[in-house]
Amino acid sequence: MELLIDHVSKRFKDKTAVNDISLKLTPGVWGLLGANGAGKTTLMRMIAGIMPPSSGQVMYGGVPIQTLGEQYRNVLGYLPQEFGFYQEFTVQDYLAYAAALKGLPERRSREKIRELLERVSLLDVRGKKIARLSGGMKRRVGIAQALLNDPAVLILDEPTGGLDPGERVRFRNLLSEFAHGRIVLISTHIVPDVEYIAACHAIIRDGRLLATGTTEDLVGLAEGKVWNCTIPADAVPEYEDRFRIVGVRNECGGSVSIRYLADQPCNGSSAAAPRLEDLYLWLSPQGGEESEGREQ
Amino acid sequence: MRILHLELKRVMKSRLTWVLLALALAFSILLAWLPVTYCYSNDTDEAGNEVRLTGLASVAYEKKRQADAAGVVAPERVREAVETYQACLTAYGVTESYNLPEGVYEREILPIAPLLHGVKEAFADPDTGMAPSIMEIDPARLDDYYSICEARIVSLMETEQPDSPAAQHRAAEMYRQVEKPFEVYPGMNSAIMDYQNIMGFLVLLFCVVIAAPAFSAGYQSGADDILRCTRHGRAELGSAKVLAALLVSGAAFLICAAAYLLTANSLFGWECTETSIQMMYSIVTLADMNIGELQRLFAAAGLLSVLASVSFTLFLSAKCRTAAASLASGLVFCIAPTVVSMTAPETLSAWLCSILPASSTSIQASVLYAVTDFQFLNLGGLAVWTPYAMIGACAIEIPLFAFLAVRSYCRHTAPGG
Repeated sequence: MELLIDHVSKRFKDKTAVNDISLKLTPGVWGLLGANGAGKTTLMRMIAGIMPPSSGQVMYGGVPIQTLGEQYRNVLGYLPQEFGFYQEFTVQDYLAYAAALKGLPERRSREKIRELLERVSLLDVRGKKIARLSGGMKRRVGIAQALLNDPAVLILDEPTGGLDPGERVRFRNLLSEFAHGRIVLISTHIVPDVEYIAACHAIIRDGRLLATGTTEDLVGLAEGKVWNCTIPADAVPEYEDRFRIVGVRNECGGSVSIRYLADQPCNGSSAAAPRLEDLYLWLSPQGGEESEGREQ
Repeated sequence: MRILHLELKRVMKSRLTWVLLALALAFSILLAWLPVTYCYSNDTDEAGNEVRLTGLASVAYEKKRQADAAGVVAPERVREAVETYQACLTAYGVTESYNLPEGVYEREILPIAPLLHGVKEAFADPDTGMAPSIMEIDPARLDDYYSICEARIVSLMETEQPDSPAAQHRAAEMYRQVEKPFEVYPGMNSAIMDYQNIMGFLVLLFCVVIAAPAFSAGYQSGADDILRCTRHGRAELGSAKVLAALLVSGAAFLICAAAYLLTANSLFGWECTETSIQMMYSIVTLADMNIGELQRLFAAAGLLSVLASVSFTLFLSAKCRTAAASLASGLVFCIAPTVVSMTAPETLSAWLCSILPASSTSIQASVLYAVTDFQFLNLGGLAVWTPYAMIGACAIEIPLFAFLAVRSYCRHTAPGG
């Protein structure tokens, strides 16, 4: 099964949030990279079927998801970027509610909820009201609900927001185990979150798809554009004006080692091995700066 | 069923729901008690001193004093009452009962007062509607009391609905079918019905507050984004939310109405509910029922009105993007019938108040007032009595708005930006 995003656009009154994006998602973990405001959330909502595209369509197994309706939702797991819970629910109640809506039989849902609560380390707080949980815990409840129905298509919009480093590692491991034979799409603007678990990536900016491919393919695009150089500390501002500096490390004797992106290096530079983040920044000339307001 | 059960569990776990339901029940009992506190009577003790009785003591005193008046309101009993009244006032040389010497009214007139209800109205001038004083009525004419009442409804309708012969005919026909002679069992007053109206309106408000966030709160918090991506997250969840809100509201209203009627009727006496409504309201009231039946009809109409209003509020909730917007618009529609009845022209008001879902239990425009009024909706040659229109409209609106709420919920899309 594959998920085909076919010339999908979304226009709001005065803004085109997603502009003619086409992408074929095959089983595996996909990273959707883009700065805040790039159109990731809008694209995710259209893939999840809760926002209709202005043009184009999303197809699963060759059939538009609107036509599939309940069949598509039956294989879908979705974690929005921003989401709320009913204040009156405990963790257990909420997951039981979500499991019923996902059509899990009662006994199966009890087993699955327990299993997932263990996986996301929330077993101890299952009787607690969600409103009283920390941001990271709420996020983990969100992740658990998305996995309840063992979805064939898992859409996670900024899933690691609010998670501490340990939780991020556990989340990545959980997802790696889960992803076999499934389509998992993770949107983020934090590249390391997907660099090691996503086999393929799509990079979008201003609603347009800039690049797509495997990690290796994409990293290859940044080959010959990443450089290291050691310069006097007081020269950093001058270099910042000339180059896109992506890393600065203090060295002995008042000098600093910089890592920067450029087509042509300055004197004394040596080529550095590119990483996915380098390509992402290379393709985002604005430096991945966050656009004003909330993402469309 | 499982989703409905979980949705009901969710609604009933909300502290707001419990607080509002508890308040509704407490208000229902309090409102049933309040009319008792307004009752007062003056008695004279053995030493000849005037004693003021209040509350249940007053109710008991009046029941005791008027015990002989209780029963069937046969024309000859009305005639005797009028003769007694006229003889009493003539003996004291006054023309109005409030000019009688202290204690005389309580002794002479109070015991027969229930039988005198409506006599002046029955003899009102057909052209001006002005009622004569009882002293001006010829007791001999009272032998034909109910024929006079039937003639009065004809003249009244000619004044009330001059352009609608259909309404005039329908009203006269309805009144002819009212069982006569009437019955009266003293002790209860119309405040009981007014407070039942207030009770219904308060429960309506509480139910609307509970129902208003049903969909919109999920939209606002983003909780809905997750739920609508699930297998049963559209029509099934929407239907479960609608059903849960209707069940909770319906149960709340039934419990509160039952608590109100049990309390009020126990305080004033269940036998009072056998009184014909013509002996509490206008003598030419069109409905063929007693007070108990009116209470039950009003409760049933109130239930339908609450369910229709909740259904409509759910529709608003499915349309609004924030809980505050759905709550505000829901409450506006609760008070709309009252505002319309006070401000709109009569015909427009009659139509709007018959259609608006909250009408049946709204203040000043409820089914209670419609039953005791003489308004008809005229459509071509058809005249529909407004209580029928109100109840019919609610019965249609409950499934209609429930369907529209589910449909709107299914069609809702996540907001941009």
